[in-house]
Amino acid sequence: MRALVVEDDPDVGSDLATALTAAGFVVDLTSEGNEAWFKGGVEDYAVAILDLGLPRLDGLTVLKRWRAEGRSFPVLILTARGEWTEKVEGIEAGADDYLAKPFAMGELIARVRGLVRRAAGRVSAVLTVGKLRLDTSRMTATIDGHPIRLSPLEFRFLDFLGHQPGRVVSAVEIAEHLYGAADGNDSNAIEALVVRLRRKIGPDIVETRRGFGYTLADATS
Amino acid sequence: MIAYSLRSRLLAAAAGAIFVALAIAWLGMIWLFERHIEQREAAALIRDARILVSGLGTAPDGTPWADAAPVDPRFTQLASGRYWQISTTRGAAHSESLWDQSLAPPPRASATEWQIRRAEGPFGKRILLVERSVRPDRGGPMVLVQVATNDEELRTANAEFERELAMSLLLLWLVLLIAAYMQVRLGLRPLARIRTEMDRLRRSAQARLTQSYPREIEPLTTAINALADAREADLARARKRAADLAHSLKTPLAALSAQSRRAREAGAESAADGLDHAIAAVGAALEAELARARAAAARSASANAQASPLEMAERVIGVVERTEQGESIIFDVAIDEALRVPLRSDDLAEILGALIENAARYARRQIRIMGMTDNAAATVSLIIGDDGPGIADGRAEAALMRGGRLDEAGPGHGLGLAIVCDLVEATEGTLSLGRSDLGGLEVRLDWPMMVRA
Repeated sequence: MRALVVEDDPDVGSDLATALTAAGFVVDLTSEGNEAWFKGGVEDYAVAILDLGLPRLDGLTVLKRWRAEGRSFPVLILTARGEWTEKVEGIEAGADDYLAKPFAMGELIARVRGLVRRAAGRVSAVLTVGKLRLDTSRMTATIDGHPIRLSPLEFRFLDFLGHQPGRVVSAVEIAEHLYGAADGNDSNAIEALVVRLRRKIGPDIVETRRGFGYTLADATS
Repeated sequence: MIAYSLRSRLLAAAAGAIFVALAIAWLGMIWLFERHIEQREAAALIRDARILVSGLGTAPDGTPWADAAPVDPRFTQLASGRYWQISTTRGAAHSESLWDQSLAPPPRASATEWQIRRAEGPFGKRILLVERSVRPDRGGPMVLVQVATNDEELRTANAEFERELAMSLLLLWLVLLIAAYMQVRLGLRPLARIRTEMDRLRRSAQARLTQSYPREIEPLTTAINALADAREADLARARKRAADLAHSLKTPLAALSAQSRRAREAGAESAADGLDHAIAAVGAALEAELARARAAAARSASANAQASPLEMAERVIGVVERTEQGESIIFDVAIDEALRVPLRSDDLAEILGALIENAARYARRQIRIMGMTDNAAATVSLIIGDDGPGIADGRAEAALMRGGRLDEAGPGHGLGLAIVCDLVEATEGTLSLGRSDLGGLEVRLDWPMMVRA
């Protein structure tokens, strides 16, 4: 598996490279934004570790360009300030996880492995339910072609319902799918999830059959 | 340096100046008064003298006679104080009031106009007299006509006038002194206001003197405000430098921990342990410094700042949803879109981030974030609750202590809750812990409602 490390501090960069190599990755190390942008655009990486504070072309811009070009490999960003504004901007620019400096190398390796595992589990498929279109490889969704931001849980919820066209799925069954287990209180949580989801994708895609469960509206047609 | 009072200086100067002015006025007025009285008296004497002149003649032996005399009865009473006398070198005639006395001749009598003179008179009294030489008969001798009055009465009148004038001018002086005192008091009052405002300025770097000062004092207040601006800028610069320094140390720290790992791989276990220890201590100090800088910045910005809790909560949730702990949690956000809280978006992000991240660590399925306004209490509140185990009632206090954490057992994320406490406090809010109706911990934040102009 190939990993791209973008870090301008030589000590931290080589330390990252050493640790990732030890963890089984083939590491490309670069210290400069433009080069990172180019490499991310042409090479096929399993994961990228991106420092936001790069000289010339900053990390956030590199990330946005990758995503704009359709590069979907998971990206872990390293922030020096550790501020939430920075994390928010990073995630909104398309990052999958963040770590604040100084970080524990063990935690970084664990996070990177988690990212790779999650990305590997994605089946490359596109599911269309009426106006809704789910891209399961990139975990992105569009309605009438407009991209919407879904949380992983929301995505899995829609994905689960989408694969059972016409069937009304009970909250307990959904909770079991999402969490692996369920108890009586989970129907409230699922209701909260649906309320939140409707605010993002509109009121008419997920239908509630009171007392029975949920279904996707256009799945029947 | 001798401390002196501006007020007593101004008052002493005013008292002195007014006194000198009034004294000069007094001297001038009594001089005018005396001259006026004297001229009036002299005019009366001249009138009497003209009557004498109208009937003046000389006998062949050279003695003068007057067949018309002033009718004033005082001329006939002995030593009455009113006298006339006509005289030539050969002889003289005078009013009955003179009795055996006579009026002294002048050193040089004018023949063309009446002359006014003061002299030693009869009966040992001083007199005011008018005199002139007249030649009643062509070829006859010159007759000296003199009419006099006792000077004493005039002097008494003058003295009385002088005294009364002095008294009234003294009274005027007192009135003017009071007026000057009032003027100084009123004039210096803005300075007293400056003092109270300066007090405020000393306590807060953001405070400024108000602009409603008299034109004369405005340059002073403008200068003071400029000084305050400079001080605030210095303060901000110092904070920024401290923060920048803290940030700039982070990457070297990361590099240092790389060295420590290398040392550990090379077998230098104890050296690596010591290094890790030092790195952790420096890291904690940096985080504390950054938290302090952030709280200070929040305090200085809180005056006009406002942030949208709904927008920021959604953005923070967008981050937390991607973490391992947050990805299976359902977020229930009930915040009005128009709700605003009085702090900067960055600070709100920091608060919500730390609290939601913490809640995600313990929540089982669900986190609820509510926003509400209480118009009666004039507060705006954010409530973050989860369905996790919550914390035991007794530990809430400990968790709120500075540096304490809600998760003392678990792997903490630095100063998470401490920075929340600092920021909430710096923005004049309050933080309280309770039990959520979801079953877990509830963190409630209250801020005073913003007063809209």
